[in-house]
Amino acid sequence: MGVMDFLMQGFQTAIQPENLFFAFIGVLIGTAVGVLPGIGPMSGVALLIPVTATLTGGMEPSAAATSSIILLAGVYYGAMYGGSTTSILLNTPGESSSVVTTLDGYQMAKQGRAGSALSIAAIGSFAAGIVSIIGLALLANPLSEMALKFGPAEYFSLMLLGLAAVSGLAGGSITKAWMMTVTGLLLATIGIDAVSGVARFTYEIPVLFGGLEFLTVAVGLFALGEVFKTILHKEDDQERVAKVGRVIPSRTDLKESAGPIARGSILGFFIGVLPGAGATLASFFSYIAEKKLSKTPEKFGKGAIAGVAAPESANNAASGGAMIPLLTLGIPGSGTTAILMGALIMYNVQPGPLLFSDHPDVAWGLIASMFIGNLMLLILNMPLVKVFAKIIETPPKYLLPIIIAISVFGVYAVQVTTFDLYLLIGFGLAGYLLAKNDYPLAPLVLGLVLGPMIENNMRRALTTSNGDFMVFIENPISAIFLVCSVLWILIPFLLKLKGKNVVVNVEG
Amino acid sequence: MKKVNWKNWLLAGILIPSLAACSTSGTSSNNAGDSDYPKKSITVVAPSGAGGGWDLTARSLTKVLGETKLVDQTMTVENKPGGGGAVYLAEYATQHKKDDYKLYVNSPPILINNLKKEGNSPYGYKNTTPLAQLTKDFGAIVVKEDSKYNSLKELMDAVKKDPKSVTAAGGSAPGSMDHLVAVLPAYKSGVDPKTVKYVSYDGGGEAIAALLGGNADYIATDASAVGEYLKAGKVKVLGISSTERLKGDLAEVPTFKEEGIDADFTIWRGIFGPKEMSDSAKDYWAKTLKDLNDSKKWQAELERNGWEAEFKDAEEFTSFLEDQEKQVEDLLKSLGMNK
Repeated sequence: MGVMDFLMQGFQTAIQPENLFFAFIGVLIGTAVGVLPGIGPMSGVALLIPVTATLTGGMEPSAAATSSIILLAGVYYGAMYGGSTTSILLNTPGESSSVVTTLDGYQMAKQGRAGSALSIAAIGSFAAGIVSIIGLALLANPLSEMALKFGPAEYFSLMLLGLAAVSGLAGGSITKAWMMTVTGLLLATIGIDAVSGVARFTYEIPVLFGGLEFLTVAVGLFALGEVFKTILHKEDDQERVAKVGRVIPSRTDLKESAGPIARGSILGFFIGVLPGAGATLASFFSYIAEKKLSKTPEKFGKGAIAGVAAPESANNAASGGAMIPLLTLGIPGSGTTAILMGALIMYNVQPGPLLFSDHPDVAWGLIASMFIGNLMLLILNMPLVKVFAKIIETPPKYLLPIIIAISVFGVYAVQVTTFDLYLLIGFGLAGYLLAKNDYPLAPLVLGLVLGPMIENNMRRALTTSNGDFMVFIENPISAIFLVCSVLWILIPFLLKLKGKNVVVNVEG
Repeated sequence: MKKVNWKNWLLAGILIPSLAACSTSGTSSNNAGDSDYPKKSITVVAPSGAGGGWDLTARSLTKVLGETKLVDQTMTVENKPGGGGAVYLAEYATQHKKDDYKLYVNSPPILINNLKKEGNSPYGYKNTTPLAQLTKDFGAIVVKEDSKYNSLKELMDAVKKDPKSVTAAGGSAPGSMDHLVAVLPAYKSGVDPKTVKYVSYDGGGEAIAALLGGNADYIATDASAVGEYLKAGKVKVLGISSTERLKGDLAEVPTFKEEGIDADFTIWRGIFGPKEMSDSAKDYWAKTLKDLNDSKKWQAELERNGWEAEFKDAEEFTSFLEDQEKQVEDLLKSLGMNK
């Protein structure tokens, strides 16, 4: 049987009434999970495993596995949809993969374009979902083989490219962006080092063994920072209450986002396939790439619709891409896919090389249901945009306590330590002071995400090569990434030396 | 405002059924004899995030104890992640040392964290009351299917000849479980374990990916995790750290001992009570956990999770832990990683 036959069979499984119902419940809960910071896709899926086990109790084992994985996967990609909502409206990223959406999404909301931002996020997510499903159906096997070839050296150089591209996240000054990146990298060293097992900057305090939690830092910097700013600059606030504006994006908006959505989907999908890279990285990379490609990069950070469309498409596509190593190799690339894998194993369905031959109904049923689930999400989300967008009209005296409550609750739900709450407040203050002095926050967050990955992969590569740095150059894929990163930094400099006006460096 | 209500409602929708699923409110008679323990709900702490081995063990345990009505009080699972279990153990050993209603799930890291130098936890199993060992797993040494090494002996000979030429990998940090399993055969073959090139990945899945992608020559991982790859013909399993051959997919795989390497390592999972647990609570759990192990439901639960049954009561478990502690200390010493 060809791929099409399998896919048709998958659709037959997916459109059974109970599976449609499970997909609907999954995406509905997923949207909520995405909206709430703290309850991430990982804890959302984990919490629902016992529920699905109860719901599917009376069914055939294989059908039960299909139904529950349809529900749980629905939560996963539904969360990717929902994650954008609070980023855009409240500057509070619901998931780490939506952090970069705050940059332009929140600005759009402030300008009264919240409706457009939310609907373009939904449309972008839908398009990305479809792209990743097509990719999943057609490319699952060859891609999983290729992803395996990505060794520590390749990862290191890819991440380095991410850092080199940090200028893409800069606001006024490249120097300030680099300072924030380095601060992020420094903060990332706190904790027990995963390669040597050495404790760094922990001062024997057990809560520091695991390092600083990324979400705590991001929510503190972005959400609480904004809260402090609003409180301390009360008088400017009168005119800030913006109108929701139109919900259906204008023709110009659609035209401006079509390219970013397409590129974000494809880039996100391929990054998602790499185990360990994930949706957060995909959203950062696509944002940076769009800014680089844009004819008007100075608009980014000030409410460019491409700055919402690209990362939101990328993080959704990445969640589809992450299904490839999970289903074909049994290798979960992220925490959430690890939990999905646990759920499959509970039903005696072992993800891995044998899944597509042993349980074609589960695998193809899931792929087909992801298609249907994405359609449901679009239908579900478009009318909700209007409801969600009303939040922006709430007066600050109600809105601020809500943001504080969501932030505190969300961080505590993930970390369950009061230490993280102090950290949250600390980073909130830092976020306010930094933003006030024009230090961009996103490079710090990117440094924190990339720091451990860069470091660990570099040392893994060097351990394997017995300390020989040539490993990064001898390896063709790694060499290409390195050349790109060098060019990325050098070209603007060279152009500047030639007297050309370089937008990247002088934008303000 | 509408939004907030909606969110709370949904959150409740997520939390309540899941809590309810792990708990029970049955009213059948309990097995505590003349003691009136337990009088209130009991919390089982998994010192990790949701989804890991400790969490699954805690959830299976509370679920089956509830379903079989062995415990008639409500049982809930609490996740307390951080420091590979060390963070919560510090709290447990100091603030809850008399709390009969808090139990704690752990495995060899409770020994390792206490003995290793870096990231040391000042507390160990001696700051708890070991109640029972529930399950066991073993370490496996795995190579890629087209690897030139066909036996553990060949692999170890290569390591012996030139430790620089062979890259080992595992899913946990140096000085933790996978590393110990990876160097154990080398150590017992007379190789200085410090010279073994060990690359640590974030979790067993990434380690297997490194192996399949040709970025590691061999990996150490949980035996229960490799069966599927073996069946698909993607890997060769060269040795298992058990004392006897395993059943099922790995029946063909020799033990370390059969390969002439005098070593074994059990990845056990057990349940602990607080240090100053009352005698009536200790008696209650001794009986309840034994009944649990005898129940068909528990055996089915183990099988479903792919765990091997191995039950040790409090006394056996404690003396087993003493032996294990010596072995781990010895190994860490040889790595220069002991405290």
